[in-house]
Amino acid sequence: MSVLMAVVGKDLQLAWRNREGWLSAMAFATIAVLTYSFAFDLATGDVRPLLPGVLWTTFLFAGVFAAGQSFQDEVDDGTFDALLLSPVDPTVIFIGKLVANLIALLIIEFAQLILATILFDVGLLTPQLLGIVLIGTIGYVSLTTLLATMGGHVRGRSVLMPVLALPLLIPLLIGAVRATGASLGLEAGTGPWMLLLMVFAAWSTLAAVLLFPTAVEQ
Amino acid sequence: MNALAILLARVYEWRWVVLPPVAGVAMMAMIVGALVAAPREIIEGEVQRLMYLHVPSAVTMYAAFGFTAFASVMFLWKRDMRWDAAARGSAVVGVFLCGMVLATGAIWGKPIWGVYWSWDARLTTTLILFLIYSAYLLARSVAGPLDEQAARFAAIFAIIGVADIPIIQMSVRWWRTLHPQPIVFQTNPALPGEMLIVLLIGFIAIFALATWLISLQTDTERAAQRVSALRAEVDHREIA
Repeated sequence: MSVLMAVVGKDLQLAWRNREGWLSAMAFATIAVLTYSFAFDLATGDVRPLLPGVLWTTFLFAGVFAAGQSFQDEVDDGTFDALLLSPVDPTVIFIGKLVANLIALLIIEFAQLILATILFDVGLLTPQLLGIVLIGTIGYVSLTTLLATMGGHVRGRSVLMPVLALPLLIPLLIGAVRATGASLGLEAGTGPWMLLLMVFAAWSTLAAVLLFPTAVEQ
Repeated sequence: MNALAILLARVYEWRWVVLPPVAGVAMMAMIVGALVAAPREIIEGEVQRLMYLHVPSAVTMYAAFGFTAFASVMFLWKRDMRWDAAARGSAVVGVFLCGMVLATGAIWGKPIWGVYWSWDARLTTTLILFLIYSAYLLARSVAGPLDEQAARFAAIFAIIGVADIPIIQMSVRWWRTLHPQPIVFQTNPALPGEMLIVLLIGFIAIFALATWLISLQTDTERAAQRVSALRAEVDHREIA
């Protein structure tokens, strides 16, 4: 447990030092929301039918973009190999990276929710919606973090990451958009979509945790 | 186990003798059967004849992707590059069949549904499968044939892709569904006898063709691995 805390602390510290990377993900998400608002003319009329899709595509693209760089510093400096040589369970290393990515992404997403609330005058900061965002983010961050380790040394990684990640994340996108729409009162019941999100989050976390040691072994 | 492996190797050596004639004859029989022998469907008309290609391709596609996942598990277990070649070979053929299923489905959909494409559950699932395995092939092809790490990554991606299929099914089924319900795989098939026989021939034809293509593609990947090993050795000796 203390090892886990140390690894999580290390990854949070790394994420903090790599602020430019996360800030550019944040800037990307902000620009994406603004671009959508011009493209779909979200400034007029009832924006609620479009808002779930706008938010979740932004979250996913920002998440894939951010996860892609989360191992980069460590791979470049060779500290990732050193970490793998240390007597720490690879699963713990993965969970540390996962928690750091999750916290950073939740901060980015929270900022986008505040921005969208201000821009579109729709109450987005409800406990239900925050719960949906939390579960949805857990669902995708584990897969994108796993895929990021895999792409670490490959050329053209930044293009490859979305191509690999997004087809796998389509069930999550459907569930998250529907659940968000339901919580905004567009359709009845978040129940089944929340269930789908939870199943996906549990499955992707389990798959990523189980397969990570195989992915990084030398 | 060893006897089984020897037996399988024996059978595999027969592929050049058995598969081309079987695939060729069955393909001919399927084409004649689908175009001439099978009765004209009353409601859907001639375009229904695409079914004899569409349904066997779809089922064989699932088998090919299933084999890719199996070979990927075997690769992670045994760490033998031959399994990597088999997984790639099978995925190439699976993606090809998947494209065939999407194309024939679209051609059939236009006169029957009035649109080439609809965001129905099955269509969407098939399209996502096409994307996942195209991504698999792309991910594997950015590294050399003998790159063990890239092969491992690709195998992990293939396994995740297969495990994702039930959740994709569930999500898009809740989303919407329009595709005709299965009428073949029931205890009392709802198809007339002649149609069923032609469909059965179609299954044999596509399955034999796919098996043959997978073995060819696997041999090609193996050859690429050998070439790359030889090239590495030449480089090594030149330096030494």
